[in-house]
Amino acid sequence: MPAVTEKYSLGVPVAISRIDQELKKLWQQNEGAVTRASLVNLAVYSEEPGSLERNTQLVAKITENHACRAIVIEADCKATEDRVDAWISAHCHVSRAGSKQICSEQISFLLKGGCTTLLPSIVFSHLDSDLPFYLWWQEEFREPMDPQLWAWVDRVIYDSQVWNDFRAQKRLVESAQEEAKQRIVLCDLNWTRLDNVRFALAQFFDHPASHHHFAKIRRVRIDFASGFRSTAVLFAGWLAAQLNWRSEKADVANKLRFVGPSGRKIYVELGERPGEPIGEVAMETPEVEFLVTHAKCGDLLEVSRTKPGEKSMPQLMPAAKNDPVSLMSEELIRGGPHHVYLHAVNRVGELL
Amino acid sequence: MNRAADQPEPNPLREGLSTRPVPQPCTIVIFGATGDLTHRKLIPALYNLAADGDLPPSVAIVGFARREKSDEEFRRDLEEATHKFSRQVVRDEIWKTFAQSIFYHQSEFDDESGYKRLAKRLDEIDKNYGTRGNRLFYFAAAPDQFEPILKHLKAAGLNETCQGSWARVIVEKPFGTDLASARELNRIVRSSFTEEQTYRIDHFLGKETAQNILVLRFANAIFAPLWNTHYVDHVQITAAETLGVGSRAGFYERAGALRDMVQNHLLQLLCLVAMEPPTDLAADSIRDEKVKVVRSLRRWSRNEIAANVVRAQYTEGAIHGDPVSGYRQEQNVNPDSKTETFVASRLFIDDWRWADVPVYMRVGKRLPKSATEISIHFKKAPPVLFNKDLSDLNVLVIRIQPDEGISLRIHAKVPGTSFRIEPVKMDFHYGTSFGKASPEAYERLLLDAMSGDPTLFARRDEVEQAWAFIDPIEEAWHAKKVAPELFFYPAGSWGPEAADDLLARDGRAWRRL
Repeated sequence: MPAVTEKYSLGVPVAISRIDQELKKLWQQNEGAVTRASLVNLAVYSEEPGSLERNTQLVAKITENHACRAIVIEADCKATEDRVDAWISAHCHVSRAGSKQICSEQISFLLKGGCTTLLPSIVFSHLDSDLPFYLWWQEEFREPMDPQLWAWVDRVIYDSQVWNDFRAQKRLVESAQEEAKQRIVLCDLNWTRLDNVRFALAQFFDHPASHHHFAKIRRVRIDFASGFRSTAVLFAGWLAAQLNWRSEKADVANKLRFVGPSGRKIYVELGERPGEPIGEVAMETPEVEFLVTHAKCGDLLEVSRTKPGEKSMPQLMPAAKNDPVSLMSEELIRGGPHHVYLHAVNRVGELL
Repeated sequence: MNRAADQPEPNPLREGLSTRPVPQPCTIVIFGATGDLTHRKLIPALYNLAADGDLPPSVAIVGFARREKSDEEFRRDLEEATHKFSRQVVRDEIWKTFAQSIFYHQSEFDDESGYKRLAKRLDEIDKNYGTRGNRLFYFAAAPDQFEPILKHLKAAGLNETCQGSWARVIVEKPFGTDLASARELNRIVRSSFTEEQTYRIDHFLGKETAQNILVLRFANAIFAPLWNTHYVDHVQITAAETLGVGSRAGFYERAGALRDMVQNHLLQLLCLVAMEPPTDLAADSIRDEKVKVVRSLRRWSRNEIAANVVRAQYTEGAIHGDPVSGYRQEQNVNPDSKTETFVASRLFIDDWRWADVPVYMRVGKRLPKSATEISIHFKKAPPVLFNKDLSDLNVLVIRIQPDEGISLRIHAKVPGTSFRIEPVKMDFHYGTSFGKASPEAYERLLLDAMSGDPTLFARRDEVEQAWAFIDPIEEAWHAKKVAPELFFYPAGSWGPEAADDLLARDGRAWRRL
């Protein structure tokens, strides 16, 4: 199979007008030997030079678990020359059911100069029909947000961890959502990054007899790695939104203050420590400490509940991996709207 | 599938993290803890749940069995078995944490003092492990042990709950051997546990594709209008295995294919295919509709049984080219055994939706391949235009195992200047579309029992109605006078000719699998 991606090459260069015919040819050559699979259209957009190869590598990994038609785009808006180059390729792997080769196709575009404005038309004309359209936007959003593009997107995936101006970016995302009449689901990989830690903390309170602790929480400590303060703030925003804490103006940036429903004060301390994006979360009441921390082996979380006079029984749970393939795979598994995220992210604005 | 009535107030930190009821802290007590089921299925399933982070941290496991064994020995045995049977690689650090809450309790099943000691031990575990007095009793022992176990559990007060805790019992099949014994078993269980506390496990219902039948039917508008006597010609359900009776001869000799497979697994699948839409996804709403299907199954007279149900036994033959012995030559099988290893039947559901639509079921051991599939064969299009010479029907196939998926056979024009029409298949494979491996049926079902969701467990009336349907067939087969014939088929074939005749009489044939 000549165009199948090995070592993550971009595959066969093709003329834009011939993409469909060349894709057909690609599959005809291998009919019977491989199965083409696709559940979504996944467009990946980046302006970083060399991103086409890097994203091809990511897509190759992602398609092992999420069959899709990938449309990978690198845009060089500053180029003086107006030019569009395109390639087609396939990412194949042996299915877990047996020896069958399962393939996802990728169309790659390198847009230069004024051609970057062609993004919507390039994407639209190459979508696999009737499948949802997910757009992984790896850049910061900027005005004007093209209404033509956003009207088509079902889920926009971004990572707020890299945002320089949270409020401005959030406003732009919201404007895109308005363009799409609230149809777009916002998928923040910074939120996905928190999944396992949220899960680990939440499970302490599954039994109704433990709900009384909510009213007694007085201190929360969140340790984050360098560059992941926004992740820690989002975590604090989630706690505040879910437990009805009202934020108070903080005097020190990393010491957040909240008031609980009964009027008691809650202090959330953010501390930078080397390690995982969120290295440890400790939640304290006068009697109990709930602790979620990364186990020594790295990819597991250790959860424990400490109460004076009670034997602590630490348990291990899976920890999230912070690489883009794992985050994207996790995000693609989840469906539905992220209402809880919206509540949390709205609280983040107040905490900045 | 739905929040159970006794499900507690939601945890606000769980919102958006889980779409299923949350399992509660508990102690799982397994009776028959040194047996095959515990080692092959239950502990590997619980380990996988722990490794995936789906098991609540406060879960303890107590193995109850007769043999002398220490906690450490029991843990070592289970670790070895989990390495062998777990669907994911066992990680030492996870096993170590998981195993610290596993204990062994040695006692005879009919020794009252053993249960008193158990009660004390469970109280200690509650204190030390935060299991909150919740108990899940899993009966992996032989059915003849159920009565003493239940009696002593009750005497030790272990069926009782206090301060918001719960006690549930999971009963493994067979749920009796006929209607009378099923009723007796239900009576025994009910003397210690209410119906709401009783979870009768049928692992077929824990399979992803079995659950997907409801999604296919009730989340896709295109099938709903066609799913009835006006458009469906007939339905076929096949559960084929290449395996012989193996080490189960002792049980199988008494049970046979009808009791072992049809009474439970196949009728459960039939219910999912044929039931009316439930009013909601509450456990009882679904089970109410399922039981109506079994109640509507046409009961045959003794003469009709011979014409509509075929029983057979495998003789020597070959599977995948390897010679295999006949059933009567298997170890621990009576050389004159009349136990059926194959059943084919023609059923009718006498309700408004399915009037006059035959359902053909076949189940058998030592068949050419292992596959469980349901196929809906649609009626022919009017015999005009293209359809004058077409003999193939549109067929929707739901593959339960292996290679779970759905396919649809339609007609298409063969490219060319002539007008030739051929059937083509549109195929959906779970394994191709979704990279993530499905959890094992036992994982799902154990989690549901811990969460208090009985949707995928059989209710008492379902079990009893199924036996009420099966009993006349068994009685006819064991009648002293004019019992229907026991046919024979060579291992590696698709059963006796009589099974083919069952459909041929109606102008139909079994699907080629």
